Amino acid sequence: MKPLRIALTKGRLEKHTASLLEQAGYGCGSLRDKGRRLILPVGGGEIEAVLAKAADVITYVEHGVCDLGVVGKDTIAEMGHHFFEILDLGFGRCAFALAAPRGADFYAGYGVKTIATKYPSIARRFFESKHMDVRVIKIEGSVELAPLLGLSDGIVDIVETGATLRENGLEVVERIMEVSARLIVNPASMKLRKAEIDQLTKRLSNVTAA
Amino acid sequence: MRTYSKITPEGVRDILFEECRAHREVQRRLTQAFSLRGYQEVITPGLEYYDVFSIPGAAIPQREMYKTTDNRGRLVVFRPDSTLPIARMATSRLQSHKKPLRLFYNQNVYRNRPDLSGRNDESAQMGIELIGAPGLRADLEAISVAAQALSDCAPGFRMEVGHAGFFQALADKLPLSPDKKEELRVAIELKNYAALEGLLEPLGHDPAAQAMRRLPRLFGGEEALEEARQWCGSGEAGETLGYLRALYGALQNLGLGDRLMVDLGLVQRNDYYTGVVFSAYVPRHGSAVLMGGRYDALCGKFGEPMPAVGFAVDVDACARLLGGYIGGRPAPRVLVYGEPGYEIQAENSVSNLTRQGVPCELSLWDGWEESLAYAQELGISKLLRVGETVTELQLTEEEGNP
Repeated sequence: MKPLRIALTKGRLEKHTASLLEQAGYGCGSLRDKGRRLILPVGGGEIEAVLAKAADVITYVEHGVCDLGVVGKDTIAEMGHHFFEILDLGFGRCAFALAAPRGADFYAGYGVKTIATKYPSIARRFFESKHMDVRVIKIEGSVELAPLLGLSDGIVDIVETGATLRENGLEVVERIMEVSARLIVNPASMKLRKAEIDQLTKRLSNVTAA
Repeated sequence: MRTYSKITPEGVRDILFEECRAHREVQRRLTQAFSLRGYQEVITPGLEYYDVFSIPGAAIPQREMYKTTDNRGRLVVFRPDSTLPIARMATSRLQSHKKPLRLFYNQNVYRNRPDLSGRNDESAQMGIELIGAPGLRADLEAISVAAQALSDCAPGFRMEVGHAGFFQALADKLPLSPDKKEELRVAIELKNYAALEGLLEPLGHDPAAQAMRRLPRLFGGEEALEEARQWCGSGEAGETLGYLRALYGALQNLGLGDRLMVDLGLVQRNDYYTGVVFSAYVPRHGSAVLMGGRYDALCGKFGEPMPAVGFAVDVDACARLLGGYIGGRPAPRVLVYGEPGYEIQAENSVSNLTRQGVPCELSLWDGWEESLAYAQELGISKLLRVGETVTELQLTEEEGNP
């Protein structure tokens, strides 16, 4: 039987994912010491892992070249949904929030507001649900800079502790959505390899619940 | 200035040679499977009024339709789906036609997909619609035809069967707003257990909420149906389950074995499907190769209520699967070269051969040497030289029959 292939998000979530898999009884030596290999065996060879950028995890799972993925809810919310999202893994917790310069009344007045963000779809959807017209500007780097430079009235971004916001004279106006790492599954894989996926999910959820 | 004269628009492509052959082969096999079961082919226009697809419950997002206007400013779209035009046709031109109608189609649909997603904006679909027949017999027929169609062109498929009425019956019992119910449906569709739990938590131990919690987990074989029976009780949900059990039991005798599954959490396009829903998957293809179900409410939206069931097959996906089995084009077996002045005689030789069913090509080279080199390069097995006399040159052993 071909091993199940799982795409893991590189960086922030990587360590947590490895230790979760280990707690669930899947050896992750190859993940910790990966060298130049791109496809890594995990556990007793029943799983193969690939490390990828968050957005690519979703792409691989949507297209079915990976059966499962571990990725943050932030990326899921931004990129849409053609897969099953079956488990909240509990780590990588943070939130999407609308932030604006401290003391400013963001919602005041009838002028159209300008929003800087790395997550334009989330920003658009949030303001659509409030029936508010806004201009959305996509920023790739430190979004906090935009209101300081006078480019935008506010930002939509990920907030963990709020320290970066405070240091730059910004504050949270409204929390938009809670974020954490999720286990996602390709719909065809879910149906074609139910028993193996069920087993993996069960072992992972036992560990996250503990 | 950038020009687009030598490339195709994003999301569409040329289909060449062996891929094209695989496409046509899938279409031929499906046409045969559908025709043998009494389905008649129809072609609907590539352009339709937008209104056909914007009826409530059509479940085709506005942003996905390619739109333009006709010469009177009316909004028209490139056909984004084949079922709605067929429902339009069945409720207008075919209104007084004897029911049930057994129709099939073989045509492309167009959807405006997001950039850089690698998806196809133009996709080849074939499917059937069985209109004017309610109940188990019609559902069984649709699913049997689907299974037959797939075994002809998607080896190794798995089919799952569910029922839209299940979610509906449970949702009706919950004290939730329509918006919340839609969130609930989405959570079940995506098997998002965390979100589902969040939505149902305030409802506590309400039996319908308890059942809802289990819905996305209830897929698999007989055991899923058995588990569902333990909590779903009588009432509408119980009746629906009874129906699904009867259907599943009957389909067991179709010879699909464990390739047939049930999924009570199939709630896709729930405002569209009203009864049985089914889809099929194959290895190494990330999405369903076949999707269908019963949509009894659709014809009513066109003013003529009629029960209906049908499905669509993803021809592109099947062609990719089948391509590996049927291989490329065999080289023509004979190359016919006419010496200068004998062009018409060469043409006659070609006609004689093709009349006998021998695939052959006419050499367009002026000289014998070039003709020989060409035949060798293409692996053509025999060269015919037409002049005063006709001589044959055997180049390679012929494979198969003479």
